Amino acid sequence: MEETNFYQEYEVFSKKSVKAPIQHQFSLLAPNEEMALSMALENFMRREDVLDVWVVKRENIRRMTSEERTNWTKRLDNKDYRKTKGYGYLRQKWKEKEQGMLDEKEIMSWKEVKKK
Amino acid sequence: MERGEEKVITSAEQAKQDPTYLQALKELLYQLADDDFLVSFRGSEWLGLAPHIEEDVAFSSITQNTMGHALLFYQLLEELGEGKVDVLAHDRKPSERKNAIYLEKKNGEGHYTEEPYYDWALTVVRNYFYETFKKIKLEAITKSSYQPLANVAGKVLMEQPYHLAHWKLWFEQLYNSTDDARARLQTRIAEAWEEFGDVLELGPYATEMAHFELMISEVELRDRWLEEIELMLGTLPSRTLGKKYGSGREGEHTSDLDQAIEIFQDVYVSDEGAVW
Amino acid sequence: MYNYLEYGSSDAPRNHEDPEQYDRFMARIEAGEKIEADDWMPDDYRQGLIKLISMHGISEIMGALPEKEWVPKAPTLKRKLGIMAKVQDEMGHGQLLLRVAEDLMKPYGKTRKDLIENLLSGDLKFHNVFHMPTKTWADAGMVGWLVDGAAIISQTNMLDASYGPYQRALQRICQEEVFHAQHGEAIIMALAEGSDHQREILQESLNRWWPSLLMFFGPASADTTGSSKQDIMIKYKIRKSNNEELRQAFLDKYLPRVFSLGLTVPDETVHYDEEQGQWVYQQPDWDEFKQIIKNKGPRSKERLRLRQIAYENNSWVRQALSKEVVGS
Repeated sequence: MEETNFYQEYEVFSKKSVKAPIQHQFSLLAPNEEMALSMALENFMRREDVLDVWVVKRENIRRMTSEERTNWTKRLDNKDYRKTKGYGYLRQKWKEKEQGMLDEKEIMSWKEVKKK
Repeated sequence: MERGEEKVITSAEQAKQDPTYLQALKELLYQLADDDFLVSFRGSEWLGLAPHIEEDVAFSSITQNTMGHALLFYQLLEELGEGKVDVLAHDRKPSERKNAIYLEKKNGEGHYTEEPYYDWALTVVRNYFYETFKKIKLEAITKSSYQPLANVAGKVLMEQPYHLAHWKLWFEQLYNSTDDARARLQTRIAEAWEEFGDVLELGPYATEMAHFELMISEVELRDRWLEEIELMLGTLPSRTLGKKYGSGREGEHTSDLDQAIEIFQDVYVSDEGAVW
Repeated sequence: MYNYLEYGSSDAPRNHEDPEQYDRFMARIEAGEKIEADDWMPDDYRQGLIKLISMHGISEIMGALPEKEWVPKAPTLKRKLGIMAKVQDEMGHGQLLLRVAEDLMKPYGKTRKDLIENLLSGDLKFHNVFHMPTKTWADAGMVGWLVDGAAIISQTNMLDASYGPYQRALQRICQEEVFHAQHGEAIIMALAEGSDHQREILQESLNRWWPSLLMFFGPASADTTGSSKQDIMIKYKIRKSNNEELRQAFLDKYLPRVFSLGLTVPDETVHYDEEQGQWVYQQPDWDEFKQIIKNKGPRSKERLRLRQIAYENNSWVRQALSKEVVGS
């Protein structure tokens, strides 16, 4: 009897902490997804914190082809309007009006507002 | 804590006050430590020989965790004045060892360095049966009157459910796969049914263990285990669970334990007193 | 790993190579870009990588066996746990590397099964050091300290490898090797500072391992054994240094430590030549080396036998789970 179906390819992803995004770890061979999951943890995360593990059968991932990576991932550097960099002149303007700039650092610090 | 205040023992010193309590406690600790040590020893022989590489790595983590558990239990014995952990693990006579006989059983034919015709079916059945039992025993022990042990049981239960889930998965999947695989498991289940009996025993101090609320009764332990296994198998083998080779809890053992001891103390005895 | 490789004949289809494509490829690796499994690559790049990485991976798997002999025997619970974790890592490194090799072999329809079967048939070679016996507990320390030390030298040399999947696997592997190095040092240190018996087995072990350690990096040039692929791996930016440079780096890093423990090596001529700026040593027997890696070493047959039994004896398990498991 054949045993080639035993070797199915699974990609393994994991999450280190509540704030961390899911991260790709590596791939493994297993006969089915339950086995893949049972093996993933100790194959790739023996020495690190782990809160969650995903396994995905590789054939279920539509990834870019080599050509798509080459052709789709390069962009012109003309999109300052999309980034705060394009609005940097405001810092000077606000300064003239004796106001601070509401930059990323400032806005990301607004976790709490005054309680009424 | 619902138990009467007088039954909670918080330190080794306190445990030593009552010789009967101390004896029952030590018996229980030797069972826990020796069971985990033998299971992990047999696991360590498998390293490099599992059905595929990914499983080898996962299995080894479980084996390491289990040996780590044995170490925790030996440490509790060391605190009670029984001797150093490495002496307890490596340098006790077979008659002093309290692991169940089924757990000392060789992994199959051959030796781990020569012609290792190890049987994965035995390993799956043994580990699934054992981890199911271990979870029940530890859960009971989290309510033990000996606080240091209850704490260790709680810690061990942090990682043990993964072990049980792993072996349960192997058991389920092989049991529900080919006729050949099912037959191989069934042979090993039938064998386990003749030999697993003493795993579920608590030895000569079983009554005292229950009396001092160190542990639940043997009957309860056994019933809970049978209930779990029945859920998996559908129906249990009709014959009663046996202990073909006697009871490890009474210090009875087979030549398989001698073989294990010879290997695991090989370096230890080569230069006794040396620091390794 | 060193680059003395004799793999079975290449049955790969030859791409009709387009010079422009080749130039683009070379420009990418020159610019430090990483090549991925599905990117275009020259045939000799793919072939060279398959040979290198499958041998590297299978050597990790075979390398678990000599040390594994000491796992159940380790003298204390802590040492049992340490060496188990270490050998587990070797299996884990094999897993990572074989996955990388398997992806490279995929266009030829080859899988894990072929790799294991090629090993058992003798077509896929494994590293010379893993054909040697481990006779005492000191050998467990020696493998962790100096054999792994040599492996660290050769693997860190490829940490910038142009092939992305290999580079990423090596990154993980080298990080774990730091633990291996210290695990080996801890065993060695206890023996070096231990009883007379312990110091004896340590020196005896080093004496036995010395020629294998020199052989580890392979011959200095193709002239020695008639086949060396080191140049192509340097051209394609997989490794940076040649065999002799790596051996010298190993001697630089480890010989002073060997001597500091009061140990000697079984070669009275060993010394550092200030003028040449390198270690002078007696060449090991390269004919013996050729025999060893043809699976004619002292323990080659036994190790392959273990691997074969493990593979064939568990075949029923892989067959059983090859059928789709319904639900779960």
